Amino acid sequence: MSLKNVLENFSYFRQDAESGGTHKYEHRFGMAIDLDICTGCNSCSTACYAENNLPVVGKERFEKGQAMHWMRIERYWDEQEFEGDFAEQGAKFMPMLCQQCGAATCEPVCPVAATYHTPDGLNAQVYNRCIGSRFCSNNCPFRVRYFNFWSYYEDSWPEPLNMQLNPDLSVRDKGVMEKCTFCIQRIRVAKDTTQREERPLKDGEFLTACAQACPTNAIVFGDTMDPDSNVSKLWMKHQVQRGPFTHKKEKANEELRGYRVFEELNVDPSIMYLERVRDTEV
Amino acid sequence: MQVVKNSFLRDLIWSLRGRFRMKTLKQITSAMILVVAAVCLPATSFAELPVPSHIIPPTGEHVGEDVPQPIEFPHDRHVKDMKINCMYCHTYARRSKVAGIPPTSKCMGCHKIIATDKPRIQKLTEYWEKGESPRWKKVHDVPDYVHFTHEKHIRKFVEKADFPVEDVQQVCALCHGEVREMTVAEKKKPLNMGFCQRCHQANGGPGDCWKCHK
Repeated sequence: MSLKNVLENFSYFRQDAESGGTHKYEHRFGMAIDLDICTGCNSCSTACYAENNLPVVGKERFEKGQAMHWMRIERYWDEQEFEGDFAEQGAKFMPMLCQQCGAATCEPVCPVAATYHTPDGLNAQVYNRCIGSRFCSNNCPFRVRYFNFWSYYEDSWPEPLNMQLNPDLSVRDKGVMEKCTFCIQRIRVAKDTTQREERPLKDGEFLTACAQACPTNAIVFGDTMDPDSNVSKLWMKHQVQRGPFTHKKEKANEELRGYRVFEELNVDPSIMYLERVRDTEV
Repeated sequence: MQVVKNSFLRDLIWSLRGRFRMKTLKQITSAMILVVAAVCLPATSFAELPVPSHIIPPTGEHVGEDVPQPIEFPHDRHVKDMKINCMYCHTYARRSKVAGIPPTSKCMGCHKIIATDKPRIQKLTEYWEKGESPRWKKVHDVPDYVHFTHEKHIRKFVEKADFPVEDVQQVCALCHGEVREMTVAEKKKPLNMGFCQRCHQANGGPGDCWKCHK
């Protein structure tokens, strides 16, 4: 980026991140997660462990908060329900994974530019470049970045189990930050196929491991830039749009259940959640 | 003319004699022959493969360590003398990530008949009769965190560029060195990030980190 380039295209480069920034997108992969049909069965999380070479860290490290699950099921109980040991209707579940923010807070704080925005609208993490400053993790409002405090690969996959490692993905070592990639290895394969066959990417041609494993199809994955994809249809149906946060929506229509987590922080998340409808409310 | 030329040569010889303290004419002439040979030989005997005009080649040299193979496979014999295309044996290069090592059956397709008296071929036949394949070692190995596909490079530089497939070794040589001069393949190019990146910049390849890093 030369000075001449900056001066000539000043109005382009001065766009702030909240209004889309200066990214030129080919795709913007996104999700719609329906919390009403999510049963909290954790199969998405398990699939993620299997797909992305995630180490199982053990009880003690888990308690210290060093778990490496790129995708976790968060549990919430309503206050008035939380009487006795367990709430009557059980917890609310929320699969929490990297929201692949359009204006990500993790990106500008990286001192070595190991995390950056790809033309697919993803927050990429380049493991080779990461020096482990952990700024990104501390700046993430969703707490979905995980740091390798130990060389987990040494004891996570004892002898025959190392054969299960996915070769399309590196095994991360100690001192490296890692996060959900929206299964970049699958995106890569799908893109290679489309390039070979000289056609655009079809909706549903590939899925992330979590979306594929979900038994109730609560997770819908796709390209939000493609207006015909299932995701964009859902986004439109629930009137959720990309871009900066404008105002808190009035709950005028019960049918509109869509929201994005921490939308008011202006991070432009790529995942839309659909609220859970409780029986008592109906 | 002859006289002038001779006198020029004589002058040269004598001046050399003075400069390098050479005593006999024999010493001087042998030195001159050496000089002439050093200038002319590389140009004649090691004719380099031409670089295809539509590619700006990546720069960088490397001396890799020896990778001993179970059978000392002579690439030079197959490529230079027999003029077999690289992709006849490394079939997968045009349709997959890896170029692939041919199955022993492909070797035996020819060597059931050809050169059966040679010790290497006899070793190969032993493997074949035991139903095993020689454990070939990988020479050009990129790190595990790198995603490299042969297919895309072949498509861009050969299929899309209308480059004749018969000359595909010119394209292969850009990253693999002149394999046709080697017996067992050696790593002659660094194949590191700078090497890839220089070529990507020059030829308009992707510059996105996640295109290659995984």
